[in-house]
Amino acid sequence: MTRRTHTALAAAIAAALTLGLGACSSSTGGDSAAVDGKGITTEGNGIIGGTPVKGGTLNILSNQDFSQLDPTRNWVEPEMDFGLRTLYRTLTTFKAAPGAEGLQIVPDLATDLGTPSDNGKTWTFRLKDGLKYEDGSPIVTDDIKYNVERSFSPELPGGPDYAKQYLNAPKGYAGPLKGQRLGKEAIEVPDAKTIVFHLKRPVAEFGYTVTLPTFAPVPVAKETGANYSNHPFSSGPYKIDSYDRGKRLVLVRNTNWDPGTDTVRKAYPDKIVVDQTLGSAGIADRLVADQGDDKNAIMYADLTPAKIPDVITNPSVKSRLVSQSEGCTAMLDMNTSKAPFDNPKLRLAMQYAVDKDAFQASVGGPALSDIATSYLPPALTGGSPVDHFKIPVAGDPAKAKQLLADAGFANGFSTEITVSTGAKQQAEAVQAALKKFNINVTINAVDASVTNSVIGSKDKQTGLAITGWCPDYPSAATFLPMIFDGRSIVDTGNQGDVTRFNDPAVNAELDRIAALTDVKAANDAYLALNDKIMDESPAVPMSWQKKPLLVGSNIAGAYANSVWSGELDYAAIGLKSVK
Amino acid sequence: MTGFLIRRLLGIAATLLVICAVTFCIFYLLPNDPATQFCGKDCAPDQIALVRKQMGLDAPLIVQFGHYVAAIFAGRTMGSGQYAVQCGFPCFGYSFQSGRPVWDLMMDRLPTSASLAVGAALLWVLFGISAGVLSALRKNSWIDRTVMVGTIGAAALPVYFTAMILLYVVVTVLNLIPYPRYIAFSEDPVGWLRNLILPWVTLALASAAIYARMTRSSVIETLAEPFVRTARAKGLRERRVVAKHGLRPALTPVVTMLGMDLGSLLAGAMITESLFGLPGVGKLFADSLNKSDQPVIMGITLLASFFIVSSNLVVDLVYAWIDPRARLS
Amino acid sequence: MTAPLSTGLPGGAGTAASDPGDAVPAPDAEAPASPWRLTWSRLRRRRIALVGLAIIAFFVLTAAFAPLITAVSGHGPTDTDKKSVDPYLGGLPRGTLGGVSPSHWLGVEPMLGRDVFARLLYGAQVSLLVAFSAALMITLIGVLLGITAGYFGGRTDTVISRFMDVMMSFPSLIFMMALLSVVKDVNRVLLLIVVMSLFSWPYIARVIRGQTMSLKHREYVEAARVSGTSSARILFTEILPNLTGTIIVYVTLAIPGLIGTEAGLTYLGVGVRPPTPSWGQMIADSALYYKVDPMFFVLPSACLFLVVLAFTLLGDALRDALDPKGSRT
Repeated sequence: MTRRTHTALAAAIAAALTLGLGACSSSTGGDSAAVDGKGITTEGNGIIGGTPVKGGTLNILSNQDFSQLDPTRNWVEPEMDFGLRTLYRTLTTFKAAPGAEGLQIVPDLATDLGTPSDNGKTWTFRLKDGLKYEDGSPIVTDDIKYNVERSFSPELPGGPDYAKQYLNAPKGYAGPLKGQRLGKEAIEVPDAKTIVFHLKRPVAEFGYTVTLPTFAPVPVAKETGANYSNHPFSSGPYKIDSYDRGKRLVLVRNTNWDPGTDTVRKAYPDKIVVDQTLGSAGIADRLVADQGDDKNAIMYADLTPAKIPDVITNPSVKSRLVSQSEGCTAMLDMNTSKAPFDNPKLRLAMQYAVDKDAFQASVGGPALSDIATSYLPPALTGGSPVDHFKIPVAGDPAKAKQLLADAGFANGFSTEITVSTGAKQQAEAVQAALKKFNINVTINAVDASVTNSVIGSKDKQTGLAITGWCPDYPSAATFLPMIFDGRSIVDTGNQGDVTRFNDPAVNAELDRIAALTDVKAANDAYLALNDKIMDESPAVPMSWQKKPLLVGSNIAGAYANSVWSGELDYAAIGLKSVK
Repeated sequence: MTGFLIRRLLGIAATLLVICAVTFCIFYLLPNDPATQFCGKDCAPDQIALVRKQMGLDAPLIVQFGHYVAAIFAGRTMGSGQYAVQCGFPCFGYSFQSGRPVWDLMMDRLPTSASLAVGAALLWVLFGISAGVLSALRKNSWIDRTVMVGTIGAAALPVYFTAMILLYVVVTVLNLIPYPRYIAFSEDPVGWLRNLILPWVTLALASAAIYARMTRSSVIETLAEPFVRTARAKGLRERRVVAKHGLRPALTPVVTMLGMDLGSLLAGAMITESLFGLPGVGKLFADSLNKSDQPVIMGITLLASFFIVSSNLVVDLVYAWIDPRARLS
Repeated sequence: MTAPLSTGLPGGAGTAASDPGDAVPAPDAEAPASPWRLTWSRLRRRRIALVGLAIIAFFVLTAAFAPLITAVSGHGPTDTDKKSVDPYLGGLPRGTLGGVSPSHWLGVEPMLGRDVFARLLYGAQVSLLVAFSAALMITLIGVLLGITAGYFGGRTDTVISRFMDVMMSFPSLIFMMALLSVVKDVNRVLLLIVVMSLFSWPYIARVIRGQTMSLKHREYVEAARVSGTSSARILFTEILPNLTGTIIVYVTLAIPGLIGTEAGLTYLGVGVRPPTPSWGQMIADSALYYKVDPMFFVLPSACLFLVVLAFTLLGDALRDALDPKGSRT
């Protein structure tokens, strides 16, 4: 599953806007469950196992290494969730709670949510007292400034680029690794406790921006360049005891972390062990079996679809399943820049040709997903799904055949689909459905870590791909402009608009909506635009999924939040009892 | 003897160089641009160019190959500026994925693979050879027939099947041990043993069967040789004949095979390692292949080749010791 | 003798290796009856060999007639049947025994609901095609190079033998995986055949070389040489016919290994691609369902087991029949 989660920044902004919109329900069940009524929801009112006790070892079973734990470079879930909740603190952060409460931000290193001045172009934060790193040395504001500067370094790519976008930094600034620091015009550090950000333009939600790991402290003395990922210097409740990349990460308590300064992180377990060598099927088997140390274990990545029957046919196992709406739309992307999918008629035919019912089965069935009928997920369309075409769930073969003939492909064609290895079955579902129209699809399954680089490369991109998009916060402003604005397309490393869809009319409309001050008018306009883009059909919306995560029987405080794309909140998880 | 060793070692070096060159050519063709991958997401073209330069990917293939080989012996400096890293002997470069030295990665994983391979080999040698010898000495008895039927079946069992059935029966149904995972011997020897039992049995089953069959035919053949008949004629007791004159030469082909098998298993037990989630060299290879992590793939290929050629050498030496008829030349 | 081995696949291993033996009267005067008749009569007496032969014939025939058989059963290998699986149970087949029904004789695959029977048949096609073709290729290359090295000796032998040594030092599984993942946009089945052959021929070549070297000094060969017969003629009329027994035995015993390798490579994700069914792929998929859908789990493994077993049984019997000494070199 490729989920390009440019997450949380605004996830927070979510909070503010959502409350105003009243769009987000406060229950933890998630939106898609409400649509179908038969979906699985997390037991125990969304929190499995009640409140944890202090102590013990939490085991995290994973099939992958973290791509980057360096706070400057950490911009994917669940790595952001993990890093921010265990190893580094930021100026502000999200509350540790399920549901809507978890979308609220609270001060973390800072004493408040920031003081804007100069119409929101200047933001001032003050640090709490008694903040220390893992070696007992004090956390000072210059360290936060230093890490923000690091996000400008070409040597340290991959992280959130909001600082680059917002800060009033000199053009061409290339980070502090060669000794150049930012001047007062960008960030001021009048004393060890105060930091002042000067922005290029007013940013009202800057209090949310500083939840990102870019705004965690990194002391200059601990700089190791690209190797910093191997040992980020901790300001959080845990520190790295050992990290054998791709094998095992062991976190132990950071005794210099003062819980009195941290209202969010509960830090229940004494030790956290991440085992990264397992296969996804083995992880599922172990958590289903629930023996020995695995009772104290959780899974890092989603439960593999093939193991869902093992879980839902067994009530005691099913009661240990956390399933929170990801808030994302899974899509079948078509490369609109190349034949045959440069033909809009053909793309439209695809809407009718695919079998979403079969696709749904391949992502765990109706218990764990809903069939998507528009790009915008229900959370962004007032809580209920929008259905533009009203195509039967299994497709409309007659209409598809006619449209294919109109497009000049009555005899079918051949193309390739790129998916991550874990999504092979989804690709097979698409492949089987298209085969009926003589469309021969070759599956190009690549490791999840390289999927984006294949899809984002002009030369390597295949005709089809399965990806997903998650809103940064419940507003269509974080959805349609991110994935259908043709002006953001680049040759390599193309991220948002992966269909390379570029329609001047759509671009113009996106600009018009962005300028609207009336939130309701903007939402209505986004809805209309959603339908318009559906007609041009750069992608077929496939499913709205929940993230299934199985936890051991001795796990407590296990809940997921859409701020973290449905991932478990590592701030409050722990063990039910400690031997 | 010394001359033989020197010639063999030179041969090994030449072979490894050839393999190194071939591997380099193959992996140079890998579909994913390592620089793009290393760079991560949202990577601008100029950033990619910078990374390419830093990684030395802008040099011609032959130059890159020269650097690679030289680095193995002399080390090299990777990157530039303040945070350049000195990659010491033996330098196989750095993983694109984790940025760690390939040598360290491989050495981390080797104990797991060695535990798996050696443990399994002990099992199959023990059971395979004893079953084979027993079978040969009691040729055509019911023991022989049972062993032969059993081995022919066991040799045909797919490892996937064996692994899953063992997991299901031992872990799920009988609940004898928890779901296996790798624990280092140094950490907890009992845990190490308990967690490796299933992988060992899985890996050893088919090989034990093959070794039993091979041992059987070899022993039968040897016992029919003239020198054994002579020994019998001299009036030696049958047990002594078998033990002293029969087994040693009979086991020569078995030792040859064992050496080759162990050599290729040290880095080649991908399936067993992935079935049980063991963090061995084979699993590292399979993972790196998926991620196009070229330095790791190359490093493991060379390591695996090294094991194979050196195990051949060891086999030759052991061969000479076991069977005085063979002479090193 | 030739018929059962070459069934279904024109130019299969059996035909290629045995034709010269049939065409040319064996000059070896040791056996009074034709060696083929002798072999067949020996083989016929071993019931177990006939069982093996029957199993092979069964799979070869069903694979060859897969399109006809699936036309009767009503489902193709890539047809999905959504009604046969229960989406609310994560796509488990409806009904007992993995969804066995009059419509789906051996049940369906979970999730997509593809017919297991049809996929097994077409999977057999791929597995056997790959194994037989690779066997043919390694026979051709191995015999050609082995016989050349053994007969001409000297520098030719040195060069070929060194080449074989280097090839055998390649960690074959690792190289096969690397090559298979590097090469894109090529017929996967063809690629598998080529890659698997590339690393398997030296083993047969070595055996053939050894045998040729000993045959070369037989009186009738010497006589032919003295009487001025050309080397090519000697090779094809005097030496090759005497090697056919060894070749057939070797190839028969190599086939199960090739089938296993194909399954393993596909299991590791570098072999044939979906939706082309293959046993390796089915095993990889079905291993995930070993607990909740045991029927689906057992079937592909059982097929693989049976075919490997059958070839081993037949190969053993052939070895005993053609080469009573049972030597494996």
